[in-house]
Amino acid sequence: MVEPIQYIGRKTIGICSAFSEMLVFSSRVLTRALKRKTYNSATKMVLINQLYFTSVQVLPLFLLISVIFGSLLVGSVFQAIKNLGLAEYLGKILMGSVVTELSPFVTVMLITLRSSSAINTEIAVMKVNKELKTLEAFQIDVIDYLFVPRVVSGILSVVFLSALFSIAVLSSGFLFLNLVFGMSADVYAGDLLNSASFSDILITLLKCVTFGFFITLIPIRQGLTASDELTSIPVSVLKGMVNVFIAMVIIEVLSLIIRFI
Amino acid sequence: MQLQKALRALPQECLQPLGLVSIDIPLISNLDVWMNIALIRQYHENQPAPEAADMVRRLLRRFNMESVFNRRNPHLSEEERFCVMLLRAVMVPRSVLIIERPFEILSSHGDSRFLHMALSTVNDLFTKCYIFDYTWQKNKYGLFDGS
Repeated sequence: MVEPIQYIGRKTIGICSAFSEMLVFSSRVLTRALKRKTYNSATKMVLINQLYFTSVQVLPLFLLISVIFGSLLVGSVFQAIKNLGLAEYLGKILMGSVVTELSPFVTVMLITLRSSSAINTEIAVMKVNKELKTLEAFQIDVIDYLFVPRVVSGILSVVFLSALFSIAVLSSGFLFLNLVFGMSADVYAGDLLNSASFSDILITLLKCVTFGFFITLIPIRQGLTASDELTSIPVSVLKGMVNVFIAMVIIEVLSLIIRFI
Repeated sequence: MQLQKALRALPQECLQPLGLVSIDIPLISNLDVWMNIALIRQYHENQPAPEAADMVRRLLRRFNMESVFNRRNPHLSEEERFCVMLLRAVMVPRSVLIIERPFEILSSHGDSRFLHMALSTVNDLFTKCYIFDYTWQKNKYGLFDGS
């Protein structure tokens, strides 16, 4: 009887301490990210490179997915609601599902699969190769030089790519509706604008910022847990990706709760 | 209080910034050679990237190693790697240069001629240099001065 209780206690303490460590680490990175002094020539160069790798390199694939997804999704949604006699709700459905839910989620999934795993591996490899010690030896702060540019790039990438996804989906959706159902631009734009609410857009923006922050910060933190052995790299990436997925679910649930309050 | 006393007792040069060259302080593998060398000036002095790149190109020219400008650590020969590490170390302003176990980096060298040649190429960029090595390596240095 005692052993299961001890096990649960140990697990709970472990989770709580990991969570509090994560919060402390987050606050340290966030504080540095808000300081102007952090952004020197070296940090800016890393930030530009990270933005290129995270946002620009992925653009062709991202736009292709958005356009294909947009045409098919908007077309099938319109067909379904037309059959139900609810065609006038198209704007509300598109704003409520595509802009506020689908865009951040698809964007964050793509960036997590592509960049978060790369960041986790990169930091773990640097730890194994003693390259973090190199930075220490030359008094280069790893938070300023390595972590802040990656986190800022993650936030900016999720916000901009999410906006781009919404624009691409809605535009390609309009083209599809125009060609197949003969819907005019005025009706479509009017529907969307009437359904847009400031609070929804604000919550979506905050959600994108939170997603961007944690999908880069968690892999960095996990990368730092790698030991001096090469075999610790896949373990660190595996744990990092699972934690990112858990964080994504928590953020999504919290945003839904806030929206319904 | 005791710590402050101990710090005051240290020779002044020990309090100067150190430019380290060691196998345990490797080059950053996801940065090009020029970025590795320029990093210290860019970070500590906010030197703009194009200016830093020009400076690195001029320094590499001293060793006739301009071709390694855009290369990364795994694609360098041991001599190139040593020179890049040396250049990175002398980027620390007013530094005391510390070279630790140079023959771990220059593993195929039987004597210190290359080491001395490299140091003399950049001797205007550091104030003092100390080389630390195992005692069993001393013949490698002895060969050079003929003792």
